[in-house]
Amino acid sequence: MSTITRKLVPLILLLAFPAILRAQELKLPPGVEKLASKAKETVEVNMDGPMLHWASKFLSAEDPEERKAAKLVANLKGIYVRSYEFSDEGAYTAADVAAVRAQFRSPEWSRVVGVRSERDGDNVDIFFKLENEKMAGIVIISAEAKELTFVNIVGPLEVEQLADLGGEFGIPKLKTKPQSSKPMAKADKGEQK
Amino acid sequence: MTETNKNPNLLEDALRKALRPEEAPEGFALKVLARAQQQNSAAQEAQRTSWLSMFSQPFVRWAALAAVSICLVIGGVHYRNLQRQRAEGEAAKQQLMLALRIAGSKLQLAKEKVNEINTSRPEPQPQNRSPRSRS
Repeated sequence: MSTITRKLVPLILLLAFPAILRAQELKLPPGVEKLASKAKETVEVNMDGPMLHWASKFLSAEDPEERKAAKLVANLKGIYVRSYEFSDEGAYTAADVAAVRAQFRSPEWSRVVGVRSERDGDNVDIFFKLENEKMAGIVIISAEAKELTFVNIVGPLEVEQLADLGGEFGIPKLKTKPQSSKPMAKADKGEQK
Repeated sequence: MTETNKNPNLLEDALRKALRPEEAPEGFALKVLARAQQQNSAAQEAQRTSWLSMFSQPFVRWAALAAVSICLVIGGVHYRNLQRQRAEGEAAKQQLMLALRIAGSKLQLAKEKVNEINTSRPEPQPQNRSPRSRS
């Protein structure tokens, strides 16, 4: 290896490191990526910071929905979505989902919601990433009978904005009971790592 | 000594005769105007011909044609780039909205499930203590 190459390799690695780190926010196992071939419908969205800001420039300020979306993504660093819809049940295994879920068993991630429904087989996990007691990211893993979805939103996200996210975009806001925050914690209790 | 020096009245008469107001000949004003117009248009024509004469040279003609063509091509490419950028931006916006919709719907699903668990769970019975036992 020549001297120039030896000097260049660490430099390239140093430059590529932030990109590698960013890409590792949500790493899907190869088994999950292969599910795309089995899926009836696949949604794959990869939007990093610059892409997000560029896309948000095209959001109309006159459209209330788009105005809220622009406000929501203003400070975000990335949105990554994988959603697979299958025609039959059992297209993926529990191990596939468990492998993804295991990535968020680190101290910086808190699992705030973990729902296991034996009745309809819908499992939803929501992880929050906290940095200096502020939300720095969210991961949603939704494993339904015929649908598997991974959502990773990177960046500071206010809880109010998060609540807006749930009620906007044509999806009606749920009428939650005043004590709704408590059951969420209860539901999580059993699943807490 | 001249005749006029001799007689001041003669000088005065001569001056009066020379400086007397005289009527302009017939059509004088029209002639002046026509001349002025002619001179003006001649100057304009000279200016025009000098500007256009630049293009009489084949090299200048071809250079001008090339410049116009380049401007048109650059303008066209720029317009096409703008159109492409706009289309890409719209597509990115649609992707962003789709991602947010999916995230929102999954949050709703989680909320729904938590609420289902909450409603299906029996309410804890309040403990009825008699006033006696309380004491």
